[in-house]
Amino acid sequence: MAASAAPRNIRLQGAPLAPWPRLLWAVGLAGLAAAIATFALALTSDHVPEQGLQAALVDWITVPYILGGLVAWWRRPDSRFGPLMIAAGFAMFVSTLQWASAPLPYTIGLAFDLLPVAVLIHVFLAFPSGRLERDTERAVVAAGYSVAAGLQLVKMLLGGVGTENLLAAAAAPTAANAVQDVQLVTLSALALTSFALLVARRRTSGRPLRRSVALLIDSFALGLVMIAALMLAGALELSAFETIRRITFVVIGIAPVAFLIALLDARLARSAVGDLVVELDADPAPTDLRDALSRALGDPSLTLAYWLPEFESWADFDGRAVELPTHDNGRATTLIDREGVHLAALVHNPSLGDEPERLDAVSAAAGIALENGRLHVDLRARLEELKGSRGRVIEAGQHERQRLERNLHDGAQQRLIALSLELGLLKERLVGQPDAMSRLDQARGEIALSLEELRDVARGIHPAVVSGHGLGVALESLAAQAPVPVRLAVDLDARVQERIEVAAYYVVSESLANVGKHAEASSVSVDVARANGSLVVEVVDDGVGGADSERGSGLRGLADRVEALGGRLRVWTPRGGGTRVRAEIPCA
Amino acid sequence: MRVAIAEDSVLLREGLARLLSDAGFDVVAQCEDAEELLRKANSHELDAAIVDIRLPPTHNDEGLRAAIEIRDQHPSMGVLVLSQYVELGLAMRLLADSAEGVGYLLKDRISDIPEFVAAVERVAAGGSAIDPIIVSTLLSRRRSDDPLATLTPREHEVLELMATGSSNQGIADALVITLRAVEKYVSSIFGKLGLPSTGSESRRVLAVLLFLRS
Repeated sequence: MAASAAPRNIRLQGAPLAPWPRLLWAVGLAGLAAAIATFALALTSDHVPEQGLQAALVDWITVPYILGGLVAWWRRPDSRFGPLMIAAGFAMFVSTLQWASAPLPYTIGLAFDLLPVAVLIHVFLAFPSGRLERDTERAVVAAGYSVAAGLQLVKMLLGGVGTENLLAAAAAPTAANAVQDVQLVTLSALALTSFALLVARRRTSGRPLRRSVALLIDSFALGLVMIAALMLAGALELSAFETIRRITFVVIGIAPVAFLIALLDARLARSAVGDLVVELDADPAPTDLRDALSRALGDPSLTLAYWLPEFESWADFDGRAVELPTHDNGRATTLIDREGVHLAALVHNPSLGDEPERLDAVSAAAGIALENGRLHVDLRARLEELKGSRGRVIEAGQHERQRLERNLHDGAQQRLIALSLELGLLKERLVGQPDAMSRLDQARGEIALSLEELRDVARGIHPAVVSGHGLGVALESLAAQAPVPVRLAVDLDARVQERIEVAAYYVVSESLANVGKHAEASSVSVDVARANGSLVVEVVDDGVGGADSERGSGLRGLADRVEALGGRLRVWTPRGGGTRVRAEIPCA
Repeated sequence: MRVAIAEDSVLLREGLARLLSDAGFDVVAQCEDAEELLRKANSHELDAAIVDIRLPPTHNDEGLRAAIEIRDQHPSMGVLVLSQYVELGLAMRLLADSAEGVGYLLKDRISDIPEFVAAVERVAAGGSAIDPIIVSTLLSRRRSDDPLATLTPREHEVLELMATGSSNQGIADALVITLRAVEKYVSSIFGKLGLPSTGSESRRVLAVLLFLRS
């Protein structure tokens, strides 16, 4: 089901745009005048049977629609629903002008004869925002207006209704009758389509409606069915037409009453907010308000996003960026603002839009807690950002080291080997010159030393064997060169990401170096395996334990490296109980 | 003897080719990458291939994989792997289950021309050439119950040379002792380490390396 195209806004500070009170009064007085005028028109009419009853039936619709519309406009100034209801009331009144005996009001009244039907369909489909949210709804309403008003003019031009009709340009009663049949049948079909749309909307909402709202929508649905029946009865010229008309008027008049009940009930529903306030009071720590708000709003699907002004984005409670839904994925969004800036956004079932009071009240009650939550989320987001940048710094460093190692390997080391080879070839030609030969050997010895030093430097910069051949191969040499006997167990069926392998390599090499320096151990075990989506490296010795601070600093660097990859390094080193270093690094 | 070279540095590739030609080898192919080497190995009758462990495109383990593939596809062909670092783990992967016709040397070793030429000849003839760094890494390894402690210093020297792939004659020349003395030391070492004596000189390389590694 489509959500509102534009998210609804709740301002926690600053008054909403209330309509001008004088305007409300003026509309109210106009409504009163219309109600009285209806009776006056009926009683002075020369062509209305049962004048009193007819006037009462019309006012049964006019008065509650105008009154309900005024209350709605006053209570929900953001919504266009109130003005729309008022329009329906007045449309009903204008159609009664056809009771007048004078030709002009009579003609105007005739022109408006079927318009109330179109306006009522519009009202029922536009609940609660006053806007038509979907294309099908817009199409139905547009068709309603053109049939009720447009075809009515055609019919009047053809001289279809009465002799006093000022618009009559021809006298073609047969054609006019045909037009009227088209009008009635089409309006009946449109009313039925609207009924189907209402039912479908309610079935797909997936969220139980408050009872008063359910009653309201039921009254809309019933009104639509009655309109459909009435139009059809008119087209078929059934004898029961007048009875159906009266019932239809009564039913349609009930809808605004149901609406007022729903509005009143929504104010009562604010008591649900009391529970929320108590709940929020009980735990002042910043917690994810989602569950509490979900309960208070009766929407299990509710999600909550906080606005991070610094990042100009929405984030969840853990500070991870989230996207608000766009208007075509069946979710509605309510933005909660404070002092003109976003605070949070509720992403909820669109049917919650039927109860704006509840949303307002719950949002207001949660205001401070939401502000707290936002600060917490802001902190988390910064932390995430920091983690990310630390990871990037380490990654960039590693790339740079890898590049340096490659440069050494392909550059200086390669040239020195070539030079040494050149000297070797030269030596072959110096047979019989022992002095030159020994000096050449000396030079080759120097080169060999340089190469060895370069190799150590290169290895210190980046363990190329890890990138080239994986952790298992690299650890074998480390274990063989360790100062104490090492039991090495590498249980990996495939390579893992290189940066993880390199980190794991450093964990083992630093730990083994520490064992040699401090532990006085007689044996060490090194275990590398994958477990629960992590690479787990464990180095355990049977030495004296109680790692000192100097030892700790090397481990600190390791911990930084491991944590930058989202992992964890822990060290157990009880005095006299050996040392256990365990690194867990998440790997895909 | 017909050999191929796979080395991406032009300087070294040409140096190696010159060295081997001067020493009387027939350098049939000079390859820039592993793929080319494998093609040449399939199309030429080669006695040995000399392979840089780091070859294009990624400079990771292309050379090693090519060497292992050649050992698999052409058992009679010797493979000598050169590297700027020697790693025990790589040596063990390369040897797998036989040390026959395999060499793994630090790249620096090529400048000692007589030694290097001897190593190529040995590998081409089905012998082995294991870098002394590998052997010393293994020998320096700490063991809780070390059987190497029972060896005499002379036996230690003999063991070291034996593990690098030297023949008995090679050991005799290096230590300036008689061939008979070498044979005596070898059988004494095998006895002390509890290894069954194997006839072939290249087979004993793997036996000694595996013993030292365990």
